[in-house]
Amino acid sequence: MKKVLIACGTGIATSTVVADKVKKHLQANGIEAKVDQTKVAELHRGAKGYDLIVATTNVPKTVECPVVNGLPFLTGVGVDKVLDEIVQHLKD
Amino acid sequence: MEAITSYITDLGAAVVLPFIIFVFAMVLGQKAGDALRAGLLIGIGFVGINLVIGLLSNAVGPAAQAMAENFGIDLTVVDVGWPASAAIAFGTQVGALAIPVGLAVNVIMLAIGLTRTLDIDLWNYWHIAFSGALVAVVTDSLALGVAAAAIHMVILLAMADWSQPLIEDYYGFDNISLPHGTSAPYVLFAIPLNGLFERIPGLRDWKADPDTIQQRFGVLGESTVLGAVLGIVIGLLGYGFDDPRGDSIAILGLAINLAAAMYLLPKMVAILMEALIPISEGAQEMVRRRFPGRSVYIGLDSAIAIGSPAVIAVSLLLVPITLALAVIIPGNRVLPLVDLATIPFIVCMTVPIFKGNLIRSLIGGTIAMAATLLIATAMAPMVTDVAASVGFEAATEAAQISSLVDGGNPLSGLIVWLGRMEWVGIAILAVVAIAFAYLIKTRVTSKREFADATAETN
Repeated sequence: MKKVLIACGTGIATSTVVADKVKKHLQANGIEAKVDQTKVAELHRGAKGYDLIVATTNVPKTVECPVVNGLPFLTGVGVDKVLDEIVQHLKD
Repeated sequence: MEAITSYITDLGAAVVLPFIIFVFAMVLGQKAGDALRAGLLIGIGFVGINLVIGLLSNAVGPAAQAMAENFGIDLTVVDVGWPASAAIAFGTQVGALAIPVGLAVNVIMLAIGLTRTLDIDLWNYWHIAFSGALVAVVTDSLALGVAAAAIHMVILLAMADWSQPLIEDYYGFDNISLPHGTSAPYVLFAIPLNGLFERIPGLRDWKADPDTIQQRFGVLGESTVLGAVLGIVIGLLGYGFDDPRGDSIAILGLAINLAAAMYLLPKMVAILMEALIPISEGAQEMVRRRFPGRSVYIGLDSAIAIGSPAVIAVSLLLVPITLALAVIIPGNRVLPLVDLATIPFIVCMTVPIFKGNLIRSLIGGTIAMAATLLIATAMAPMVTDVAASVGFEAATEAAQISSLVDGGNPLSGLIVWLGRMEWVGIAILAVVAIAFAYLIKTRVTSKREFADATAETN
């Protein structure tokens, strides 16, 4: 099972919206994944054990897994493209 | 009529809000099952927040009281933070109206060209609900409270337009503005302060590296560790250590309870957020259809700017500074706790104005935090009243509650202060707000449009 981390400034505000959309999309595409939320201030030791981070703000340089920009989920512009990108990362 | 009002008040926000949210969701075209779930979730979030506020004030209250007696450090106003403030705000009568009223103000301002921002970040309408609710309580008038919230919206939209070019240049967000109740008002003081810094030769070029600071002080950004350490410090100051067995039990208990409260409070708010998602999406769809394309700035949560290394570095350093300020500043009675984790929101829109310079941002942040503490102290009795009115009874007679965000916010403070003068104050606010919006439109936004147009033709 893949693990996805949704990161934002508070670990609540915008990441709850993004997590909701990512979960629904992954389910619809039959990808089994655990989706967690966090705030970027907690990421200074990296994000061990996660396959992908979707972030609505910058993440520290210590993070070693791939990072996808989650801003389109908030603006509503380019959502499909990000969703494809997320699926691509989790398929292999 | 009075019987109905008192019945609704006695039911409490945790019961009433589910009905309101259910109706909103149905109106916006959600399925009955989803609407019911959203309604129940908001009630559940309320119950959860109430539990954690209880935990927080019961754990910290007695220690803070003892600290005041032992050392004369009177920090008996517990900072319950933005999660509680947002819940309190949405739980009031003004809160129930904040989203429709705020959206209406936004749509009207867009239609008459007084703003370019479409604020689709409905969750953060709690900021206008908060100031409105406080005004409603001090004036005992719902109409004045709603008027204050509407005016607050006008000012935030103007501030978002004003800062948009700076924010876009620094963070690289295309056509996004940040009409955020916590972050935007501090822009107003950062701009003149930066002008002053430009004239002081030493400050102009003094620099520090944000990545190093983030590595070294990163632990201050972890609410759990911070909560435990603060618990031990407050416990030692409050209970002393003359009885090792009893005192260590009290101190360690306080440490784990404080860590728990700081970790759990945001989680409870996440439940409220989840409940609001269907409503927020429905309303967003509705307004977006009216303003398609790139003709507007999309107003988002300033949380998207928080990850910037300079913002994190400044905020981490401001944690110990704020605690020191709380002890040093005469007249402050707020014990900073939950909102120590929210400092990034206070600084994130000022950092671009200080051009990412850490030293300037840190000095600016220190001044901002000092003001915030004093405002939060002044607002504490009103915040405590409003909290009690929505059923957060945890505030005992001994301790009051407040928050740095938005209990200490300069704009919210100003609105409440003028709001106390009832219609005269609200009228002054309204005139100033509209004049400010007009000024921003003619001086900043219109020029910006011109600049965009020339860039495209070249």
